[in-house]
Amino acid sequence: MTIHDKTFESKFAVVGRSVKRSDTLEKVTGTACYAGDVALPGMLHGKTKRSTVAHAIIKRIDVSKALALKGVKAVLTHENVPRVLHYGSPHPRSASVTRDQYILDNRVRYWGEGVAAVAAISEEIAEEALDLIEVEYEPLPAVFTIEDAMRDGAPVIHDNGLPQNQVLPPVIVERGDVEKGFADADFVIEGEYELGRPTPAYMEPNICVAQWDGNGKLTFWSSTQTAFMVRGALAEVLGIPLNKVRVLVDHMGGGFGAKQDLFQHEFLCALLARETNRPVRMEFTRKETFLGGRTRHPGRIWLKQGFRKDGTITAREAKVLFNSGAYGSHGPGVTNVGTAALTSLYRCENVRLEGRCIYTNAPIAGAFRGYGVVQTYYALDLQMDEAAEKLGFDPAEFKLKNAVREGDIAPSNHPIVGHGLEDCIRRGMEETGWPAVRRHGRDTGVKRRGWGIGCEMHGSSAYPGIKEQGNAIVKMNEDGTVTLLTGTAGLGTGAHTALSQIVAEELGVPFETISVVQGDTDVVPWDIGAFASHTTYMGGRAAQIAAADVRRQVLAHAAPQLGATPEELTIRDGVIVVEGSNRSMTLAEAVAPQRGMPAIQLVGVGTYTPTKSYSFAAHFVEVEVDTETGEIRVLQVIPVHEIGKVIHPIAAQGQIEGGIQQGIGHTLSEDYVIDHQTGRSLNAGFVDYKMPLSMDMPPIRTIILETAPDPGGPYGAKGVGEDPIIAIGPAIANAVYDAIGVRFRRYPITPEHVLAALRTKKQEVA
Amino acid sequence: MKRFEYHEPASLEEASRLLAELGATAQVLAGGTDLLVEIREHLRPVTHVVNIKRIPGLRDFACDDAQGLRVGALITAREVETSPQVARLFPNLVSAVGQLGSIQVRNRATVVGNICRASPSADTLPPLIADGARLSVFNGNGERSIALEEFFTGPGRTVLRPGEIVTGISVPPPGAHSGRAYIKHGRRKAMELATVGVAVTLEREAGHCREIRIALGAVAPTPIRAREAEALLRGEAFTPERVAAVAEAAMTESTPISNVRASAEYRREMVGVLTRRAITLAMEAIQ
Repeated sequence: MTIHDKTFESKFAVVGRSVKRSDTLEKVTGTACYAGDVALPGMLHGKTKRSTVAHAIIKRIDVSKALALKGVKAVLTHENVPRVLHYGSPHPRSASVTRDQYILDNRVRYWGEGVAAVAAISEEIAEEALDLIEVEYEPLPAVFTIEDAMRDGAPVIHDNGLPQNQVLPPVIVERGDVEKGFADADFVIEGEYELGRPTPAYMEPNICVAQWDGNGKLTFWSSTQTAFMVRGALAEVLGIPLNKVRVLVDHMGGGFGAKQDLFQHEFLCALLARETNRPVRMEFTRKETFLGGRTRHPGRIWLKQGFRKDGTITAREAKVLFNSGAYGSHGPGVTNVGTAALTSLYRCENVRLEGRCIYTNAPIAGAFRGYGVVQTYYALDLQMDEAAEKLGFDPAEFKLKNAVREGDIAPSNHPIVGHGLEDCIRRGMEETGWPAVRRHGRDTGVKRRGWGIGCEMHGSSAYPGIKEQGNAIVKMNEDGTVTLLTGTAGLGTGAHTALSQIVAEELGVPFETISVVQGDTDVVPWDIGAFASHTTYMGGRAAQIAAADVRRQVLAHAAPQLGATPEELTIRDGVIVVEGSNRSMTLAEAVAPQRGMPAIQLVGVGTYTPTKSYSFAAHFVEVEVDTETGEIRVLQVIPVHEIGKVIHPIAAQGQIEGGIQQGIGHTLSEDYVIDHQTGRSLNAGFVDYKMPLSMDMPPIRTIILETAPDPGGPYGAKGVGEDPIIAIGPAIANAVYDAIGVRFRRYPITPEHVLAALRTKKQEVA
Repeated sequence: MKRFEYHEPASLEEASRLLAELGATAQVLAGGTDLLVEIREHLRPVTHVVNIKRIPGLRDFACDDAQGLRVGALITAREVETSPQVARLFPNLVSAVGQLGSIQVRNRATVVGNICRASPSADTLPPLIADGARLSVFNGNGERSIALEEFFTGPGRTVLRPGEIVTGISVPPPGAHSGRAYIKHGRRKAMELATVGVAVTLEREAGHCREIRIALGAVAPTPIRAREAEALLRGEAFTPERVAAVAEAAMTESTPISNVRASAEYRREMVGVLTRRAITLAMEAIQ
């Protein structure tokens, strides 16, 4: 259930209503086209051979037996692919990503890295051929933890000139005078927080299909959040101009940030297709989505804060250490964003933060919903809860007192425009009956309950790390219907529905008259990709601007027909009316071709360069802990979100519920584990990587406020994609403390951790 | 998926002959929910698949107070789960099959298949063992009967000889004043393998325990009976101290391993907690 607060009578016709999503019919009837549905005449199947060592030089690689297998058409190794150093995630001129990958290298840096690729007439033959490729490795010492990788004499994983296997120079953020802040403190608290390794585990495994035409042009279907970035990387690495690469992506089965990266197979697929002169399809198995996929950055956070007796924060110091795995991917971006996030959420003038990201021979960490902030706010919010207790405050009151306000300097170094964290906390307290619901460890039975609160804020758009830009083209057809051309990706979030609503609203036409053209780099305007919670905020604003342009053209065209000036005209539900008169005509009448006059050209172009807005949330959670088995059950969640103007309430609610489900998994069970002797993955599959399913989900009562719209977003809309996964974790950990009086400075919190901690507590009491 | 030869015998004799001739890389297909995944994931070398679904007579399914339960080799987990008769007499088994995979899986998977897969963590095994189930096995000439608890020799391994096919399973009717329970410990509610499974079936007589059978899953290479624990309660009163001692003994009898699902220590501790809880549940279930 959504309680969707109406602070004012809606002045909108389409925006703010849960219209039937534009992708509903094709998805429920199975006609929606995913990259995996592409089947071309003569298509071959490609497979990647993956390393069985974590760190080694390839001494010898022999593909003769594989090539001799009937049905095998081509085999690629580091010996016959172009050696071009490229970005793992190609954001243009961005400091967020690293340039440290080759298509195939003569060296492997993690267990599961691709070392060769085969194209064959069937998947089965390609798989069989992989087993026939002989690889002789010369092992190198491997390191899997941050500690080992930073130690003197550790193997150098990438020779980038930085010591201690650092991916980037340390990120240092300083505001005010932290020494003075601690000197002014009545109370100082510090703690170390340990971060597990969740993976995005998107429903649709990575997949691409490559086809070259006779003019040397590559058509490339791929499940990617960043079609234009894929186009750029393919062109750069393959040495062809952009007009010779066309990237297509219609629907996607999720990405959660990770599908901004390139995963080796994109290049391999294109090269296999070129070599064989036939289309080639490469699809990851579920196991490969773990082995060759991306995870959230694991690591460790040391955090220290000083407080005055009245609860004011006087100083905050943090050392953030992220494990990047074998390649940098989004390490710089995640380290910057995650570290800088600690400047805010709870107000503090004196801050010194240090963030480091370290190469190891572990699986690659990349971009993942919450982008470093999941990690750092977990630490911050848990410590605030602890400090509240030590200072004698209720945690919600304490967080409310310290909550970020309008005008505070955001992590992006801009004053916050429109805030809402206070509203979220207050509303959640009302809804739950806080603080009466709290248990304070009172329960004495086997199963004990508790309530917790967790807070978050998150930016829409990656500014200032990336100077972003959203584009849109809106065309009105000669019957008054409308076509929106957008480069924003359809991850499954309902973004194209939201964009269509915005266009319909701006033009004053029914939602059903809008159709969307998406995901074709040859057709739609350039797009930076779907990430950073910015699609509706930025792409939506661009669509609004383009629609406003068409509206202006239409009214200019209609005005003489109605004997009025354009300023006197309004479009409502597809009808142009002269305000204050009974004169009107339909849009179709206004723009229809007349005898002797062809259809008029009505095309609007919108470009929007955003700065940043922040969304806010407070999650209230009730848990039950079984003190004999250590199991933690989430009984209910009340998430309160401030996301500006809501374009599609049900889709927004879906984002929030999905984020909570993913966040519950991260906090309680999801951890991709590797063997620290060999680097081999121990749970590369859904048998032992456990995400909560629908049956595990507690009731969620979502409350969306609309109290702090952002002037930068369409109709005041802000992002919602990443927010819900950030607040749920600390809310659960804090609720567990309320239930059993144990603070877990880590995730996931497994039943074994709970039992061990209860045992320790019992011994301490004794 | 690796290529395999597919066979569709029309009789048990034909199936048995095929399996005997083709050897260890020939596998029986009933529900296929384990087999096909294992072929696909290269977990089991299979060159021949013998589909037994065309064979008549493997769909027996009866449950009553007089005869107990009889489940043919082609009866699905979902059929057992949704049977009111089974729910009345063997709620422990219904609990177990109801936690096997997902509804989609249970609509295909067979109970006998779950047994023959011989996974130490299989959900149906502990309650069936605790209830004294027996298997009917066709061996080319006729049938032999094997007690379920003697069926397993290791993970994925059974006493079946080449050419033998399990045709069904039978469970004796519940004794008077008996109660039964199965508790699965997993990391989530569906699509989950048991970290520990504990089944207890007991009979009460004048406030004492007349008979008790405790079966443990996922804490040894095969499902096991906790016989020493049972002996501590047999003929004794159900005092909390006595039950605690039984739980302790069951922990000692288990020999779990550590893996990514749980440590051996945790599994052993759960054997204790769940044995105690299962005894209580079984007591409460006595009519």
